[in-house]
Amino acid sequence: MMRTLLVLGLMVFSIGVAAQQKAPVNPVAQEMVDYHKRIDAYMKVRDEATKNLPDQKETGDPAKISAREKALGQAIAKARVAAKPGDVFGEEMSIYLKKALAEDWKSRSPADRKALFEELPKGLKLGVNQTYPTTLPLVSVPARLLARLPMLPETLEYRLIDRYFLLRDRDANLIVDVLTDVYPTRDR
Amino acid sequence: MRAAHLLLASTLSVGALAYVAGAPAPPVAAASQVTTPREKDSVRFAIIGDTGTGTSSQYQVGEQLTMARQMFPFEFVIMLGDNIYGSERPQDFVTKFEKPYKALLDAKVPFYAALGNHDDPTQRYYKPFNMNGERYYTFSKGAARFFVLDSNYMDQAQLKWLEEQLSRATDRWKIAYFHHPLYSSGEKHGSEIDLRTQVEPLFMKYGVDVVFAGHEHFYERIKPQNGIYYFIEGGSAKLRKGDIRKGALTAAGFDTDFTFMLAELGKDAMQFQVLSRNGKPIDSGSLPLAEEPKKAAETKPSSR
Repeated sequence: MMRTLLVLGLMVFSIGVAAQQKAPVNPVAQEMVDYHKRIDAYMKVRDEATKNLPDQKETGDPAKISAREKALGQAIAKARVAAKPGDVFGEEMSIYLKKALAEDWKSRSPADRKALFEELPKGLKLGVNQTYPTTLPLVSVPARLLARLPMLPETLEYRLIDRYFLLRDRDANLIVDVLTDVYPTRDR
Repeated sequence: MRAAHLLLASTLSVGALAYVAGAPAPPVAAASQVTTPREKDSVRFAIIGDTGTGTSSQYQVGEQLTMARQMFPFEFVIMLGDNIYGSERPQDFVTKFEKPYKALLDAKVPFYAALGNHDDPTQRYYKPFNMNGERYYTFSKGAARFFVLDSNYMDQAQLKWLEEQLSRATDRWKIAYFHHPLYSSGEKHGSEIDLRTQVEPLFMKYGVDVVFAGHEHFYERIKPQNGIYYFIEGGSAKLRKGDIRKGALTAAGFDTDFTFMLAELGKDAMQFQVLSRNGKPIDSGSLPLAEEPKKAAETKPSSR
């Protein structure tokens, strides 16, 4: 009897150790956590870089709005002068995002796909720390796609333009990060 | 108890025309064509969409709005997005908004804007658009509450906000407006089905009565969908002639000249009228107020 109990005890202990050794780690969940840490880090840099700029208040003078937008963009770009594509998205998250975009693309009708490029020129060259082209429309990000993407603070947004997937600072009109070749050219 | 909207297709009274094709009519004085308000304490407003071009057509619609207000004293104007096309330099706000509507702005008529795909979201800080610095917001007028959405970017935060705001609203009328149409017979764009799947269930659940959108550069009144009245007014300064493909969705459509709308929310019904930049009546009618929240699948939604 004692021996049986000992064997059972050892078995339970072994299973527990094995479970601990192989603790289930969801790689996507971990990458989400890391992604949000990088977003938080961006927000810290942004807050520090723009702390001396006045808050944006409603105004009847559009010059004040555009001046602040420009000042924000310049301050953030200066603070992130060494930033390069993928710094915020990260390698793993880039793979996840491209997969989500590809799946969403596949699910869309030809008319839907065409709508994503409407009124936009081809062959744009965009990069980190550039301003979003001010005379181009902002392509609506499909609501169904947005529902699949990690949430962002209100300051930031995802944008699609040409074959780029952007992380954009809304009030600074600044490209914070960029994924290239997210959509196939042949379908345009 | 609020009665379902389903009967309205047969019971609403609609004037003017069902569908118009052909050349625009010669100019006529708007004041003589505009119907005066029916009720004393109603909520009266004008609706314009896709306005910010700075072209003569925008100015002509602005003049007609001013004239129409003499007969139909609307209290405010809602803007359905694409408020400023192209560059958004300070002078663009003058030529594409302040000058075309100068008479109304001078008369202290407030404008409440929604963001379109041509609008920089920083427009929300432009005081004359009354957005309180928000991409999406709500405001009330009399017995009506308006929900102004940013359909360019319908993220989870906005959806959550919308549901919270709708759930607590006890106003007799619930009106939603934003740029992209959930239903449209336009060939160029068509219905925004993706957006519809996200927001229409909330509209139905919480009893939104009327939805206004732009984006399509014409006027269209959609046959009621799931008990909700849908309008497109995206032809107040831009026009896509001949773009309407009249089909199962279209109750009335007009795509041959620039237009604007006037609406009156009364005790039991919404009166509406649509006029061209020449003051010609395009469409009008009376839509009864629903008496109970919409139920899913009452009417099979149409899609393109």
